[in-house]
Amino acid sequence: MKKFVTYSDLVGIIKNIIGYEIIFPTTSRHFKVLKTVEDLNLLNLNVIRPIEPIKQFFFPAKESLMYEKKDLKQIILGVKSCDIQAIEVLDKIFLSAPADNLYQNYRNNTILISCDCILPEETCFCSIVGGKPYVEQDDGVSDLNISFIDENNLILESFTDKGEEFLKHYFSDFDLPKNSDELKRNSNRTVSSKKVIEYNAEFIKEDKKGKYYKTVKYTYELDEIWRKESDKCVQCGGCNFICPSCYCFLIREASISSENQYRDKVWDVCHFTGYARVAGGANPRKYKYQRFRNRYQCKFVYRYENFDFYACTGCGRCIEVCPARIDIRKVVISLVLAKGEQVLV
Amino acid sequence: MNIYQPKNFKIIKIIDETPNIKTFVLKPLNGDKFTFQTGQFIELTVYGVGEAPFTPSSSPYHTETIDVTIMRVGRMTEVLHSMKKGDVVGIRGPYGKGYPVDSFVGKQVLIIGGGVGLAPLRSLLLTLIERISEFKKIILCYGARTPQDIVYKYLFPEWSKIKGIEILRSVDKCQPGEWDETVGVVTCLLDKIDIDVKDTVAVVCGPPIMMKFTTLKLIDKKFKPEQIYLSMERNMSCGLGKCGHCQIGSYFICKDGPVFTWEQLKDIPEPFE
Ligand SMILES: Cc1cc2nc3c(=O)[nH]c(=O)nc-3n(C[C@H](O)[C@H](O)[C@H](O)COP(=O)(O)OP(=O)(O)OC[C@H]3O[C@@H](n4cnc5c(N)ncnc54)[C@H](O)[C@@H]3O)c2cc1C
Ligand code: SF4
Ligand code: SF4
Ligand code: FES
Repeated sequence: MKKFVTYSDLVGIIKNIIGYEIIFPTTSRHFKVLKTVEDLNLLNLNVIRPIEPIKQFFFPAKESLMYEKKDLKQIILGVKSCDIQAIEVLDKIFLSAPADNLYQNYRNNTILISCDCILPEETCFCSIVGGKPYVEQDDGVSDLNISFIDENNLILESFTDKGEEFLKHYFSDFDLPKNSDELKRNSNRTVSSKKVIEYNAEFIKEDKKGKYYKTVKYTYELDEIWRKESDKCVQCGGCNFICPSCYCFLIREASISSENQYRDKVWDVCHFTGYARVAGGANPRKYKYQRFRNRYQCKFVYRYENFDFYACTGCGRCIEVCPARIDIRKVVISLVLAKGEQVLV
Repeated sequence: MNIYQPKNFKIIKIIDETPNIKTFVLKPLNGDKFTFQTGQFIELTVYGVGEAPFTPSSSPYHTETIDVTIMRVGRMTEVLHSMKKGDVVGIRGPYGKGYPVDSFVGKQVLIIGGGVGLAPLRSLLLTLIERISEFKKIILCYGARTPQDIVYKYLFPEWSKIKGIEILRSVDKCQPGEWDETVGVVTCLLDKIDIDVKDTVAVVCGPPIMMKFTTLKLIDKKFKPEQIYLSMERNMSCGLGKCGHCQIGSYFICKDGPVFTWEQLKDIPEPFE
């Protein structure tokens, strides 16, 4: 179902939604929880994905395993395509049998409203790793999508039953978009996609032949490149924490007794030395470069082999956060070059 | 109740196996039965201390209690070893895929264990014994560091009486006069047995270095990669294919294993690291 809506209509309706916690992106690129109507002055649907990872709304950094969860109903507004893709990765992990019921509960109680990107930035590389800067029906988990036609007018399109219900409930009085509106939307989308590709001109510009996969898979012999690329890495784990599709966690046991139990689930980091250490101190990834390499392999090789899509969404958060200014795209390029292959496939 | 929640079990018996290995007999506090397939593992919690993966060493045909044979190696196992009969621990599971016993039917089963690695293999052996007529022959090769380090000493005499089972043991070193069986690493036992490789599956569990050399030896003896079953060990947390800790290549050991064939692992660089 599609509707033609103005921006001020949309904001007006959001103001009046009750029974949901509404989360939205701000101009300074943070997720904000709507508390008062004035908060909506900060709303900006045209920034790239927020700084914080979207996983926090389904997979909090630290979560007690001891209490029954209240059913918190949430609407996340303005979710970018890369973050929709990140949720797909998390779904594969957490919803595969037996489903993690904590995660499942959040997911079932969330309405995801995605939004096309009009203004990609230099850190964006969604289009290179199998994505694109907008979401369509088949792309997965978005319930409802917003496309800007121009500054003031937009198309709302539902993808799921949840999304359709939402449209029917709040937007039944609105008209269908005109054919010309859809054409304008499509051309906006083409412009954004081109922009992402332009920004990546010096990196791999397309991945039609699974270049990321092949490059990272067959590089065990390139130990010295991995050592060099990881040299400046300080193992802070920033990239793991900020990554929307890094799902690793640890179950911490901290009970007082068998009657008085406490345990929680906390984000974990494959860059940390203790992550893979086993009894007696042996460690399958004892060197920094091995742990650094593992993160790339997890995203571009292992999960790709499992799911047929990358576990990196191209959101660029890790590029932004890294104190050593390591750029995931540059690392891959170094490997391509070290293998004597061409960068621009 | 979430999927990471353990159930309480009471320690009803503790058997001293070696100076640093004990077998704990555990019974569900609520009187439930505990069912598992041989080779599957559990996550065991010492409340307030930690949680770690172990493989039951008892027969899956016995569901009233389970045995877990545990070596004292670190933080959590240290505390576990100081626990007493009557104390309560937590258990989640069983997790993973066990040994594909049905596919061993009609074959010779060569079981090779090192140290505390005999724990899951004891469970397998007890399973095979229940159905002994279905297998051509069972050969157990077991190696320990010294005669004192041998687990289940009291069971070997019983097992060697069973028709269809051949047992060979070795120790790495011993005092003069202390040991009249083989001295040497466990792989040297493989030179002493007469097997028709075509018709045999090999099941291996032990420390990484032992698994590595045993695998090499088996390949040397013309075992095909898919005839070699290995129990892999990695750091684990969730046991359910979610937390990421146990990954090896594109496998999660907890979910896709812990038992793998060499066929599955052979292309993964340094699987025994
Ligand atoms: C599938 C499987 C089956 C196994 N079966 C058996 C068996 O039958 N018998 C047996 O003896 N052993 C078995 N093991 C090995 C056993 O799990 C280890 O010996 C056990 O984890 C040691 O725990 P520890 O705390 O005493 O050792 P430690 O060396 O102290 O710790 C072991 C690991 O836990 C981590 N760790 C320690 N403390 C914490 C903490 N507070 N929070 C988070 N992580 C921590 C360490 O970093 C290290 O990676 C098995 C392992 C696997 C994977
Ligand atoms: S990576 Fe793509 S989808 Fe994500 S914010 Fe940038 S342009 Fe939008
Ligand atoms: S690896 Fe970096 S670019 Fe890829 S999804 Fe994670 S944070 Fe985004
Ligand atoms: S132990 Fe968590 S994924 Fe295997």
